[in-house]
Amino acid sequence: MWGGFQFMHPDGWWRALTLAVLTAAAPQPAAPAPQSVAFGDFSQRVEQYLKLRKALPNERTTKSPKQIVDRRHALAEAIRQARSGAKQGDIFTPEISVEFLRVIRGTLAGANAPNVRRTIRQGEPVANLHLTVNGPYPEHLPQTTVPPTMLLRLPQLPEKIAYRIVGHDFVLQDSEARLVIDFIPGALP
Amino acid sequence: MRPTRRLLLFLVLLSSQTLWLRAQDITLPLKSGSVRFAAIGDMGNGEPAQYEIAQRMLEFRQKFSFNFVIMLGDNIYGGKSPAELQKKFELPYKPLLDAGVQFYASLGNHDDTNERFYKFFNMNGERYHSFKKGNVHFFAIDSTYLDPKQLAWLEKELASSGSDWKFAYFHHPLYSSGGRHGSDTALRDQLEPLFLKYGVDVVLAGHEHFYERLKPQKGIHYFISGGAGKLRKGDVGGEFTEKAFDTGFHFMIFELLDDRLHFQVITDQGKTVDSGIIERRKVDTKAAPSVPAAPPAKPVPPTTRCSDK
Repeated sequence: MWGGFQFMHPDGWWRALTLAVLTAAAPQPAAPAPQSVAFGDFSQRVEQYLKLRKALPNERTTKSPKQIVDRRHALAEAIRQARSGAKQGDIFTPEISVEFLRVIRGTLAGANAPNVRRTIRQGEPVANLHLTVNGPYPEHLPQTTVPPTMLLRLPQLPEKIAYRIVGHDFVLQDSEARLVIDFIPGALP
Repeated sequence: MRPTRRLLLFLVLLSSQTLWLRAQDITLPLKSGSVRFAAIGDMGNGEPAQYEIAQRMLEFRQKFSFNFVIMLGDNIYGGKSPAELQKKFELPYKPLLDAGVQFYASLGNHDDTNERFYKFFNMNGERYHSFKKGNVHFFAIDSTYLDPKQLAWLEKELASSGSDWKFAYFHHPLYSSGGRHGSDTALRDQLEPLFLKYGVDVVLAGHEHFYERLKPQKGIHYFISGGAGKLRKGDVGGEFTEKAFDTGFHFMIFELLDDRLHFQVITDQGKTVDSGIIERRKVDTKAAPSVPAAPPAKPVPPTTRCSDK
């Protein structure tokens, strides 16, 4: 059943997800993160999130746009159900947020700041999106650019998850489900 | 012959004559054994201009039989429903797909990362990827999210490439004279040292909705080709510009033969607005990063006037 993608009713996803979470093996370690207690805690929380994701089948290449879209919707729905009680700050805790703010604002204030700000502007920043945890990152909006110099200083993320900048907020996005995992409001001055 | 049949025959002849006339602008060498391809950028909006360019590509392919197309990002704008994907990709390029033309995508900021699973985009489920055609190695980079893992991958791929020619393509331009966006210098800080160190010859980008051939930068030839479905008039021209065109939609064709790359830029009207030849530079990738001088592309007189800015 998990060998390849098959579209399932959301209830089926939920049952399969619950079973898989209960029986999940030890999570794979996330990519190495910069050394700090807060970033270590962050990486562990991302691993916990990945444990949920790990229960879901990986996408395979297909010529069918419908399969891709159905899978994205089913994935988002399954994650919402599995994290139905999730709220802002679950992953970006106050302690973790402080560390992220230090890096983000440091990057925006350093010698390379004009280049960094230009990259954010050129990526067609999204300003008018009301963020909610488990909420959608609408498909018609562009994926905003996070400057590579900032990415180099933040904990690395697995392929399915990405950092995004939305207005002044810093977002952790499930890029396959196009869903907001968590965010830091007002992270960018 | 009945009048209706005569009319039909006349229309068929007229149509084939029009195709023939439009495709006469081709000035590439058209030699056997060459690597031939096309490039399109910022195309996926499903609007008439995208269909027009797709039609011109089909017409030019009758004389210049390219067998693959590289996509410079913003492959699917806006909605990503199955119907939208059909309208913005499968329908406009259906005749090319039916003819066996392969499309190799890179992702733009308007693309969904799930497009990497779309088989027609030949990304094999990866945000960034590389492939070889003849003596050319292509590197498709995800410039919207250039994380350390991708940079490490790129360096490894470039270092181990034994190909004569190296082409990098992605969405955001490292150099641009565009008024709306301009050069992405933070991206340049990361990518340019790798391109120089490992001898990348040509870099293609989109994001700006016009055509621009830039003056060679540190020995590398840069093109912006982001007008295969979108157009921003009056936005290009500046210190980097060698040639520019922003008054119509366009696509590019390339023919690579040994140490020479021939290129041509064709509008939605079937007219050539830029063309030229690039000689491959020789870079010792084992030595320290170097900046060999590169001559500008040798212009081939276009058959129609181009807008120099």
